[in-house]
Amino acid sequence: MEQAALALEMLDITKTFPGVQALDAVSFGCARGEVHALCGENGAGKSTLIKILGGVYRPDGGTIRLDGREVAFSHPIAARRAGVSIIYQELSLLPHRSVAENVFLGLEPTRFGVLDRRAMRDNASRLLRRLGSSIAPDTLASDLSIAHQQIVEIAKALAIEARILVMDEPTAALDRVEAARLLDLVRRLSAEGVTIVYISHRMSEIQAIADRVTVLKDGRTVMTAPLAEAPTDRLVRAMVGRDLADFYPPHASEPPGPAALAVRDGANRQLRGVSFELRAGEIVGVAGLEGSGKDALARALIGDEPFESGTMEIGGGTAKPGHPRAAIEAGLGRLSDDRKREGLLMQQSVRDNATLIERAFAPAFRSPIAGSMSPQSTDQRLIKLDVRAASFDQEAQFLSGGNQQKALIARWLARDPEILIFCEPTRGVDVAAKAAIYRIMRDLAKRGRAILMISSDLPEIIGVSDRILIMREGTLAGELPGGAAEEDVMAIAVAHDRVPDAMAS
Amino acid sequence: MTVAIERSRERARAVALVRRVNFAVIVFLALYIAVGLLQPNYLEPAGAMNFLRRAAPLAILASGQLFVLISGGFDLSVGSLVTLTVIGGSMLTANDPSKTWETIAVLYAIGLFVGLINGAVVAYLKTPSIIATLGTLLSVNGAAMMWSGGSPRGYLPDNFRMFGRLVFHDVPVIGIFPLAVAVLVVVCLLAHWALHGAVFGRRVFAVGDNPRAAELAGVRVEFVRVGVFVISALSAVTAGVLLGGFGGVSVDVGRGLELQAIAACVVGGVQLLGGRGAVVGAVAGALTLTTLFTLLTLLGLPQPLKDTAQGIILIAAVAIGAWRRRRAV
Amino acid sequence: MSDQQALVPPPAWRRPPAAPPLLLAGSIALYVGVALWTGETRMLETDGVIGLLQRMVGLGIVALGQTFAIIAGSIDLSVANLISVAAVLASFIMQGRADMMLVAVLIVLAISALVGVVNGAIISRLKVNPFIATLGVGLILQGLLSASFTDFAGSVPKEFQLVAYSTFGVVPYSVAALFALAGVASFVLWATRFGAHLYAVGGNAEGARLAGIRTDLVTIGAHVVCSLSAGLTGLYLASRLRSGAPWVGRDGVYDLESIAVVVIGGTLLAGGRGGVWGTLAGVLLFATLDAAFNMLGVSAYPKLVLRGAIVILAVAIYTFRTRGLTA
Repeated sequence: MEQAALALEMLDITKTFPGVQALDAVSFGCARGEVHALCGENGAGKSTLIKILGGVYRPDGGTIRLDGREVAFSHPIAARRAGVSIIYQELSLLPHRSVAENVFLGLEPTRFGVLDRRAMRDNASRLLRRLGSSIAPDTLASDLSIAHQQIVEIAKALAIEARILVMDEPTAALDRVEAARLLDLVRRLSAEGVTIVYISHRMSEIQAIADRVTVLKDGRTVMTAPLAEAPTDRLVRAMVGRDLADFYPPHASEPPGPAALAVRDGANRQLRGVSFELRAGEIVGVAGLEGSGKDALARALIGDEPFESGTMEIGGGTAKPGHPRAAIEAGLGRLSDDRKREGLLMQQSVRDNATLIERAFAPAFRSPIAGSMSPQSTDQRLIKLDVRAASFDQEAQFLSGGNQQKALIARWLARDPEILIFCEPTRGVDVAAKAAIYRIMRDLAKRGRAILMISSDLPEIIGVSDRILIMREGTLAGELPGGAAEEDVMAIAVAHDRVPDAMAS
Repeated sequence: MTVAIERSRERARAVALVRRVNFAVIVFLALYIAVGLLQPNYLEPAGAMNFLRRAAPLAILASGQLFVLISGGFDLSVGSLVTLTVIGGSMLTANDPSKTWETIAVLYAIGLFVGLINGAVVAYLKTPSIIATLGTLLSVNGAAMMWSGGSPRGYLPDNFRMFGRLVFHDVPVIGIFPLAVAVLVVVCLLAHWALHGAVFGRRVFAVGDNPRAAELAGVRVEFVRVGVFVISALSAVTAGVLLGGFGGVSVDVGRGLELQAIAACVVGGVQLLGGRGAVVGAVAGALTLTTLFTLLTLLGLPQPLKDTAQGIILIAAVAIGAWRRRRAV
Repeated sequence: MSDQQALVPPPAWRRPPAAPPLLLAGSIALYVGVALWTGETRMLETDGVIGLLQRMVGLGIVALGQTFAIIAGSIDLSVANLISVAAVLASFIMQGRADMMLVAVLIVLAISALVGVVNGAIISRLKVNPFIATLGVGLILQGLLSASFTDFAGSVPKEFQLVAYSTFGVVPYSVAALFALAGVASFVLWATRFGAHLYAVGGNAEGARLAGIRTDLVTIGAHVVCSLSAGLTGLYLASRLRSGAPWVGRDGVYDLESIAVVVIGGTLLAGGRGGVWGTLAGVLLFATLDAAFNMLGVSAYPKLVLRGAIVILAVAIYTFRTRGLTA
């Protein structure tokens, strides 16, 4: 029996949208200062649940209690005033305003009707120091790294004396070191009595900081338990209904073929002295902290921000694509890390998305459904990749993250490229789809393609790659075989003897 | 369960789309019947054909504007290009019928040039199309004024005017068949093929939906942008040739036509942010607007207030479109 | 606008150098250069410079208002027609009588404010694209105006003409008023909650809404400011021309040029950033160009053609430097 009322209780929350039951009598509760992890596949209802908590939606049924008192939020500002603060995945900072202006957005202090900028600056500094950060309050938000922006978001949440902080995938865009710092921060806030609801797909983080875990599946609570009773494989099974052991496909059993891609001394504004080979039949992972240049590497290879010096050989012939179109012609393909901004045509059908590259290269006056662009052959490709949609005429925006990713893979496979680069292939993708994508990558490698995988998810890199390249400060710092220990990878990525201690796995 | 959710969502979406396109057709028919009640000869084949003749320029303009809108832009220069076409037509032909065909060729060349400029500025100088085409509007209007010295000559030779005026008689079933309607049909077929039946059209949708993704997939975004503005400009010249046959030569011939074209597209279901639209919708929208104006004239609305009516219709069309889109999702 | 920028651009994004000083230097160089080249050195004397500043007033006042609209992520294409309405109404109500001045000014400002409310409401409540909304309202105004007036209407009493013509010593009232208004506008943007909220709504409307800001009221407020500034410009033009005519707004191309000077002054078309002094620097540039054309003897129609080209070029240079992907 609880002595004190729970800081947060959500009881029997039900929410229906036209044609969809998003939540069905979902319940969970947190004590004050508890770190409560919320997990589930995409579409399980997590985001609807926190939007209800945040006052964006109103529940159709159920109650919300804060410290035992029942509350109902009609608008996000009501939730904020009650001490509930939500940090969504999409950062909501104003890029052209200072940190202080962002932190106090909507709450600007005034003196005699005029903005009290000194108070804003001082209070912002105070909040940032409390979070262990030394960011100057006059810095422009756009000049900050993503990790720092995240800290400003938290400061913004705390500016309203939040008692309950909900964080939705806060480490999605952070590298290992920054993520570790963030987790430290979470622990610190929890110790101060802030209740934290932590949503994440990263099992290692959940194991590192959660006190209790709730798993949602198909809009229902499937499991609520203290961490001790919730090891990763039990969580995964609850979310997905399968065992963790099947998660990563086995590494390549045969030695790789000839070099499909060779780069020597590639350099541009962000990279220098990059030299490596990518052979047919292998999956090479590229790991590195944020700013290490791994994303810049992908962009250089596909001609988006090309190499300015050095050589590049594709399939034995020299080529240095200066434009994405040239890269595709040379036999390269890249799945971008930001599918919403750089990949999907949200309002076009799944088929239109899958045939985009073919249509980019076909003669302008040819029929758009001729040859390989026909619905029959397109559907075949989509089915082979197990893209699930009500119909392939459906608009891409209605697909789940995993299916969107698979549809994009179908697009890039249309011209049968020799070399495929996957950037953050499972970001925002649920567990089942993750496993499927790993299998697809391994299949492609088995059939002779050369795969380059760039990811901030270290377990994924280690689990899937045959070889791991590690980048640091714009250049290749080292190489390890697949399956290497995380500490070893981190050691090269960070080039320190000491590795940040908050890294459990 | 997710499949069921997606299926019902998809059904809702399909219904909304069908409703949207048919909406314009339904509204058009309803308005046309209202007009017919006021003025019965609209319901006769001859009257209907005449109506189509008068609606043809706007429908042609809308079909061209459609491409720009789907690509995510606006072409506000088409009205001024129509004016330039009419004035240029009168200046170049100098009332000499033997010059008509070469004049028309020159006018299309001018249109091509304007379209290329618009497209180049938007595609290569990365200027927002609103500003770019507003600037072109200014320049083209200025050019028209310069060319005519401020007082345009009032005449166009008959064989130039025939595109707008010529009507074939003794046609079976429909009685009369205006040449303008034939031009309209040809333009619509071309537009429909280019947008829905050719790879180019899909590229236009892609660029309007997500230009960055299109670029990364190998689409030559700049070419697409130049292409849509050229199409829009050429449609403006075509409309201008037809309009030259309707009435006298004046500097006001094209005033406000760009907004009418945009309104027509919106009424017909085109989304202003790009990525969605159809030729059927643009034409239905144009017919609807023409019917609406006819109705207002029959009801005795004075000419200057036509602008006011246009403004209200434009806002209402976009507002309703936005509202229906919010409901559908 | 058609293409959303990334919510928070990556740190590698570089800001172009500040516009106002560049524009200022450029304008001065251009003015002096052309004056020397054409031999019109009297333009470089006090009278000439004052004349240049005077040329800034009409566009300057309405551009200040347009700055507010664009910072808030909106835009106002109805200003040209509203200016005409204001000029004609003022002159018509005054009918040359000094005792009707105050009444006329109040009515004109009230109507301007109302138009601003209508613009803002259509955009924020009916969710209509700002270009379409304000173009439509402009059309409505144009129709109402030409249905009622076809020529100069009424006249402006001498006392009111003082607004445009009198001076504090060497500096005309109107120029002083322009800079005073700019000062007030700058203060509002920098030091008030309303100003902060304008930037917020323009920078990230959804984020602003979630932070509790009443985004619809902010949008309406921005448009009211913009329309009031258009009304003031109309009043100024009536005072200067001694009477109002329905074509003053169109002829001055105030809609397009006010947007252009705001943009080249450094205010992002997508909203969320910018300021008043940049706009004024842009106005100075345009006034200088106009003066240069006059010195070079360019006649009316070619000027029109050039104006359009210049507007495009000015905006193009600006957006090219910041590399948008918009259509």
